[in-house]
Amino acid sequence: MASGNEEGALWSIMGYLLSGLLIWGGLGWAADHWLGTHFFVLIGMLLGGGASMYLVWLRFGRGSTGSNPK
Amino acid sequence: MRSFLLTGSGGGFVPPSTADFNLPPIFGHNVYTTKPIALVVLSVILVSVFFIAASRKAAVVPSKLQFAGESIYAFVRNDLARDVIGHEFMRFVPYLFTLFTFILTNNIFGIVPLLQFPAMSHVSFPYVLAIFTFVIFHAVAIRKKGLMPYLKEIMFMPGVPKPVYILLTPIELATFFVVRPLTLSLRLFANMFAGHLLLLVFILGGDHLLKGVVGLKLISPFAFTFGIGLTFFEFMVQCLQAYIFTLLTALYIAGALADEH
Amino acid sequence: MKGTLNLVGYGLSAIGPAIATGMIFAAYISGVARQPEARSVLQPIAFLGFALAEALALFGLVLAFVL
Repeated sequence: MASGNEEGALWSIMGYLLSGLLIWGGLGWAADHWLGTHFFVLIGMLLGGGASMYLVWLRFGRGSTGSNPK
Repeated sequence: MRSFLLTGSGGGFVPPSTADFNLPPIFGHNVYTTKPIALVVLSVILVSVFFIAASRKAAVVPSKLQFAGESIYAFVRNDLARDVIGHEFMRFVPYLFTLFTFILTNNIFGIVPLLQFPAMSHVSFPYVLAIFTFVIFHAVAIRKKGLMPYLKEIMFMPGVPKPVYILLTPIELATFFVVRPLTLSLRLFANMFAGHLLLLVFILGGDHLLKGVVGLKLISPFAFTFGIGLTFFEFMVQCLQAYIFTLLTALYIAGALADEH
Repeated sequence: MKGTLNLVGYGLSAIGPAIATGMIFAAYISGVARQPEARSVLQPIAFLGFALAEALALFGLVLAFVL
């Protein structure tokens, strides 16, 4: 159980980071495209990266007793 | 640079590209009968025949064939399904087993002489498999928890101040509904595609070097040797990718069954 | 030859996260091997470190296509 859980955690961490970057970076890119600016994509990517890392922390890093019994 | 290296051979080296994956139809102009399709059908026949033959005369003291079949089955059932999913695993063993053997056979076709084409390097095959997995794990979760509680569980992490949900909910939704099936299929596709391309580069390159001037002829055995070494490496990658696809399917199902908080 | 230098840059930039991920899990595995009961303490730390390193790699990947 433990090893499967750990591998699953790693893959889902990657999924979270990727989707965070893609969603918010994509929104920033769309905003850039629409407004003709160049910095929204960077802001979006930083925001998305930060948010997804926060999500990873919520899911996997919270509390040392943690590793909620899935 | 290329023309400088290979001027002696007449006619430049054409590096393998995506065009090498678009194989011509087997019969005339019927676009549905191409080599990948034929290989997929062949793999289905092979897998069925093998496991029917392996399980037909099941005995307490297994024959070699039965032992081979049973060890693959035991691997999927114990190491993948039971260890990952937990006590409800038996319902999902047929799907996981089918998935594993199907992908494994099709991947290994990539290095079997004469066949030598992994059907999974056409992205549509992994897409279909990922859609199956996608539907199954969402259906399992919805049946177990109900639609609204399941969506609520995905969308709202507990223990977060309310405004942050604006930031997090799109990410969670995208992860569950877009990124998971997409990465599942693209991982398999990219590995098979890149592996086949890599083999093409070394084998075709070695072949081309052999036609060159004497100096190049001397290099070509290295290219072939490297190609053979990479073939074994590819074998490892192919087994690994079949395993990972099945493992991730099992993990997603396990996540769908698990009671969160 | 056609192509873009972005991908070369991404290849170079992926070296860092690759080494980082390797080091994180090397440390995690040897830590758990020495003291198995420390697993629950080390696991979140290792995962967060992995997430940080992985985020850099994915940043590079996305930027290679965006820029």
